[in-house]
Amino acid sequence: MKLLSSFKKELILASRGFYFYIELLFALVILAVLLFAIPQNFSNTSTEYLYFNLPQGGKEIFMNNILEDDPDAKSEMVGIEAGGKTFNAELIVTDEREIYIVDSEEAVRTLADSEKVIGVVIELDDDNQLYYKYYLQGYESTRLKNLISILNNESTDVLIERIENQEVRPLSTDYEPLTDRENTIPPLIAFSGSLMGMFIMASYVFLDKKEGVIKAYAVTPSSIWRYLMSKIFVILLTSVVSGLVIIMPIIGFRINYGLLLLLLLTTGFFASTLGLLIASFYDNLTKAFGVVYFLFFILMVPGIAYFIPGWEPVWVKIIPTYPMLQGFKEIILPNGDIVYPLLTSAGFLAAGTVLFFITNIRFKKTLSV
Amino acid sequence: MLKRIWIIFTRDIRINTREFMTLYMMIIPLILAVGINLLSPSVNDTSVNLALIKNENPEQAAYFDDFAHVELFSDEERVEDRVRSRDDVVGVLSKDNGYYIMTEGNESELVIEYAKLLNVLYESDVQLEDARSEIIEFGRTVPPLKKMLVNMLLLVISMLAGMLIAMNILEEKVDNTVSAINVTPTSRRAFILGKSLTGMFVALFSSIAVILITGFYTVNLGQAALVIFSLTILSLLIGFIQGLNSDDAMEAAGSVKLMFLPMAGSIAGYEFVTGNWKIFFYWSPFYWAYRANDMILSKSGTWPQMILYIGIILVICGAVYALLAPRIVKGLQ
Repeated sequence: MKLLSSFKKELILASRGFYFYIELLFALVILAVLLFAIPQNFSNTSTEYLYFNLPQGGKEIFMNNILEDDPDAKSEMVGIEAGGKTFNAELIVTDEREIYIVDSEEAVRTLADSEKVIGVVIELDDDNQLYYKYYLQGYESTRLKNLISILNNESTDVLIERIENQEVRPLSTDYEPLTDRENTIPPLIAFSGSLMGMFIMASYVFLDKKEGVIKAYAVTPSSIWRYLMSKIFVILLTSVVSGLVIIMPIIGFRINYGLLLLLLLTTGFFASTLGLLIASFYDNLTKAFGVVYFLFFILMVPGIAYFIPGWEPVWVKIIPTYPMLQGFKEIILPNGDIVYPLLTSAGFLAAGTVLFFITNIRFKKTLSV
Repeated sequence: MLKRIWIIFTRDIRINTREFMTLYMMIIPLILAVGINLLSPSVNDTSVNLALIKNENPEQAAYFDDFAHVELFSDEERVEDRVRSRDDVVGVLSKDNGYYIMTEGNESELVIEYAKLLNVLYESDVQLEDARSEIIEFGRTVPPLKKMLVNMLLLVISMLAGMLIAMNILEEKVDNTVSAINVTPTSRRAFILGKSLTGMFVALFSSIAVILITGFYTVNLGQAALVIFSLTILSLLIGFIQGLNSDDAMEAAGSVKLMFLPMAGSIAGYEFVTGNWKIFFYWSPFYWAYRANDMILSKSGTWPQMILYIGIILVICGAVYALLAPRIVKGLQ
């Protein structure tokens, strides 16, 4: 009952400040960005500059191949400015590529250099065999350069036929990918809701330290843990409300909201207790800022791995935001795994409880710190 | 007046150094810059990850290693476990007449096509030595991701320097020192400006250090200095808005979050939005700062372009200041 009463008091106090409303506004702004600024799927069109240093017949074979690959491809003549010159080009737009066919090697070189994309010159060598000259930027990995250099050793038709005959055995066939818009939700929820809870919690406690509220607890019958927990509840409530504001209009009712609430609450609890622990070592936000700042950046790193699934070193996986992101992703995935979010929630609950226990001891010992 | 601003600035530096905050704010971007240096090569080397059975076909494993990341496992069960893990790993396993690709089922089409292509190239005995091609490079060694991370860090520095300014102002507001200034020869504006110099200094120092640490010392430092200057003006404005409009650290922390939105939006707008849609980001000084930084870091910016972008940043900052002037004056009272 005392806890509930403290929570109510905290809630009333919080509703009088701007923080609550800023959080809500922030969630609404993110929702608007997701709905109106982020497309369902980003365009993955790549740009290439080609020059066929070949007899007309050879050039036509290549051009026909490109156009046959995509019956909806469109072709038009364009002028491109680069390096103070204008180059004429035939632009072929397919579903996946924008190919500019230019009429000199100089054009390929200048355009690849200024536009920072791949340029290719196709010509005949001394044995009348096709020879490819690739213009690359220089930062491409050795493995990618290796692949590019042998890509045309075999005839494209033969390669395509053999690739199509390759057998792929998926371990699961009920996977439905998220749209790009949906895919941006987990980082927004994790970083904006749960992670910011750490920062806000620390600010919250510093405010009370400044006003002497924590000291006052030493002479009241209420215990410190109830005080800390009531603060955490306020953050959790804000985090849940802002999370639902973002998710519900986009995902609708096709996800397990029980699981989502569980993960929002446990990750929020973990982040808040982490904020509390930091706050227990300092007496104002300016002093704690360095630690919060540093932690914030470390916790952001799994965001890179989230968007580049091929890059996931082991050390990234032990940063708490990694399971946070993957847990939220699993929840919004159609046919997503239920066990992973449950295990993640259990992990965050356990870690949060340990941190809370340590924080409680620290606050008890150092009521005025 | 300048002398008084200087005295306030040096006093602030002393106080902030005592609390290590300024030091933290100056050192942490440098640590992050080192982190970017360590991180970017491995991210840039990202390729398809293949899982194979150890000693089953060492020649195949060595072949694949030239084009992809190869991990070897003792048996098929271990390969399957690895394929089932959360990152994108594809197995290449033997069957009666060749090899098949084992996927988890959630990999992107690109990853699967890459793995199939490599397997076809191996089965077709296409060797690197037989390449009928030549690669000509422009000598750029900095991968785009590193440039993007450094650019983002520069913007974050300005944002956090703004927060430092806000915290300094807020502290004085809470202690009622701003009112006490009324009875001293120092004007309130001079006092607040003096309080802001620490943040501006931090922004300037950290930005230059980050550029140098991350290896961009061959960029046009004159252009970089100009953009950094405009960013510090931006920090000042952020600090003023946050510090004078917040009554406590909670509100300031909340408003930092709000300020991150236009910054993140501007970066996303510049990097991902194509064509005419970019016009929707022209109102944001972060967009112009990011764009100017991108050109400087790519060594493709010309002086007229830089002057134009910096001019736009300063005009936007000036307009926001003019718009908020009544609130800022009120906040100083």
